[in-house]
Amino acid sequence: MSGHSNWPEWIYVAVVIALMTWVGAEAWEAERLVEHVPADAKTIIATGQQWFWTFEHEDGTKEIGELHVEVGKAYKFEVVSTDVNHSFNIHDYVVLIDAIPGRVNTVWFAPDKVGEHDIQCREYCGLIHYNMRGTLYVTEPTS
Amino acid sequence: MTLELQKPRPIWQIMFSTHHTDVGLLYLISSLTFLFLGGSLALGIRAELFLPGSQIIADSMTFNRIFTVHGTTLIFLFIIPFASAVGNYYVPIMVRYKDMAYPKLNAIAFWMIPPAGVLIWLGFADFTWYATPPYSIISAPGPAADMWIFGLKILGISSVLGALNFVVTILKCKHPDMSIGQIPLLAWSFLSSSLIIIVAIPTFAAALLMLLTDRLGVSGFFNPAMGGDPISYAHLFWFTFHPEVYVLVIPAIGMMYEIIPRFSRKPIYSYNSGIFAFVMLSIVGFSSWAHHMYATGMSFTEKTVFMVGTLAAVPASAMHVFNFVATMWNARIRFSTPMMWAVGGIALFFSAGAGGVVNSAMPLDFTTHDTYWVVGHFHLFVMGTIAFGSIGFLYYMFPYVTGRMYNETLGKIHFVLSFIGTVLVFFTQHVLGLYGMPRRIYDYPPIPEWIAMNQIASIGAMIIGISMAVFLANMIHSSAKGKLADTDDPFGLGGKYYYPFEAKNPSH
Amino acid sequence: MKFIFGFLLIMAVLVALPAADFAFAAGDEPGEYLDRRVVIWNLFYKMMTVAFIVGSVVSGTIIWQVWRFRESHPKAKPTSYEGTDW
Repeated sequence: MSGHSNWPEWIYVAVVIALMTWVGAEAWEAERLVEHVPADAKTIIATGQQWFWTFEHEDGTKEIGELHVEVGKAYKFEVVSTDVNHSFNIHDYVVLIDAIPGRVNTVWFAPDKVGEHDIQCREYCGLIHYNMRGTLYVTEPTS
Repeated sequence: MTLELQKPRPIWQIMFSTHHTDVGLLYLISSLTFLFLGGSLALGIRAELFLPGSQIIADSMTFNRIFTVHGTTLIFLFIIPFASAVGNYYVPIMVRYKDMAYPKLNAIAFWMIPPAGVLIWLGFADFTWYATPPYSIISAPGPAADMWIFGLKILGISSVLGALNFVVTILKCKHPDMSIGQIPLLAWSFLSSSLIIIVAIPTFAAALLMLLTDRLGVSGFFNPAMGGDPISYAHLFWFTFHPEVYVLVIPAIGMMYEIIPRFSRKPIYSYNSGIFAFVMLSIVGFSSWAHHMYATGMSFTEKTVFMVGTLAAVPASAMHVFNFVATMWNARIRFSTPMMWAVGGIALFFSAGAGGVVNSAMPLDFTTHDTYWVVGHFHLFVMGTIAFGSIGFLYYMFPYVTGRMYNETLGKIHFVLSFIGTVLVFFTQHVLGLYGMPRRIYDYPPIPEWIAMNQIASIGAMIIGISMAVFLANMIHSSAKGKLADTDDPFGLGGKYYYPFEAKNPSH
Repeated sequence: MKFIFGFLLIMAVLVALPAADFAFAAGDEPGEYLDRRVVIWNLFYKMMTVAFIVGSVVSGTIIWQVWRFRESHPKAKPTSYEGTDW
């Protein structure tokens, strides 16, 4: 059955391995860049619970279901949960991290334009998971 | 041992039989029943998502229960038992043994499936097929959740018993004249997927027990309020269920290895590379489980390790595609229904795999994790590859099982409609995911792009639904009234077939 | 075939070297933030480009084969195994 030479297959496998190496290298580099949190990022504690988001800014102000941030600053989210798993997601800014009870997960972003964006929960969390939504307001800097 | 509906055997003769073709028939009928049950739930989901707002499903809890049971049914009660059906029919013949190694164990493994199916369907749990703690511990309503846990427990035992049986049959009962390097690739696929089951399933079995005691409140393995860690469940679960993906896909590839050379009228291009790729997949499959968990707050190093482990599985899968393409080269292919399903399955297998490579790149998880991209991606595997291979093989074994021919025109209509539907539903869902629509949602905000793509997907699902109705009609009508098949060469291809009906094995 | 292989090898080096160069040149100036959307979507589009190129080669090959090697094709000829008990 396999008495013939098989060199086309080995070339093909080598090409596949080369492609996969390229994918891995590119992904590694991009991940390294996005994971690097800027030193001057402001911390926002985002708490997920069934079925809404609460945000606490560094100065202690709290917001429920909506979040106000300013253009041109970097923000680091510390995402926690008080009951079941949720997943904090601002799709327009490609921000995503799970909210797991008992853990603090971090993710950061720097809004660059004034606008409104959806905040949603992307991990199944029960009855009103589909409507565990909020709004991100990006405003002009006050100072 | 054909299923002759014109001169039926009494049903208890089949039910209480331990003969491999009879057990195979039982597996076949029950898995197809669950295919139609689970598939109709999918139609319900797609009808609900056709427009924002509530359509046909009254509340989100019902919706959550429906997609949970849909996933559980099609993975555990259709795909795995269907593979067992094929294995039961073909493996003993391919290794030239009179039956499975342990016929009674074989029958027991089958008879664990109906009670498990009843538990899952009567319970109708809502915590997704993944049963994530702490939701599944503190929030999911019982007794549905507990019934699901018991159902899965039984199914796990059934898979392990079935897998042990296949491994012993292949390694210990093969004809002494055959070396292990001579058994057909379909039997090899069962050997490798059974070995994966034996290694992988116990982890999930343990996790299920812990989940149950956590629900009862006597332990807190996964309950953060009692000092447990939900992430440890995720690790245990995916350690079983990423390799399980290969358990599902390897037999389907094995079925294509039977169909494609047959209808190409040529032996497989490289038998050895097929074996090599199966063995590689079943080893490398264990190095990638945590790519499902990038978003749970893993460190950069952990993510890198699991990304490399995931990419390492790609060359082996690509070798299968190469093997199929090279086999069809310079062939004279007859496009009967089984061949159409197999070739369609390869094309979609490639698409699913390419999507999987993109998925495994860590930063892209931010855009795709838990969106419809993921739904589209794994459905291209389970529907586009595994179900396509399985349904193709069902058409292929139909004359051997019933002694009659299916209706070729209806079979081709079934394929064409299913292929169009699959492309419409699952490719659209990839794009929908890029627009950010999360999975497992009952209702969605009226964003125009979301509505348009959901409607395309729902229409595709209806096309698949119609094709499955054609399929059901064809199967029922042809097994009772179809043309008698030429049982030496039902597809007119020549060469040496494996005939389950010629297994002149005495009944026990 | 050797030419194609060599060509692919050269292309791989041409792609890999700038990527490695970029990897060690990333800066960290205060006040200037990286736009994660750009990094992530850029990666996505790069991979999609490659995936679609590979995909068109693979599916193009399969479609051509299905058309050329079907038994009803005018040039179809029996394989050397037909009539034997392979």
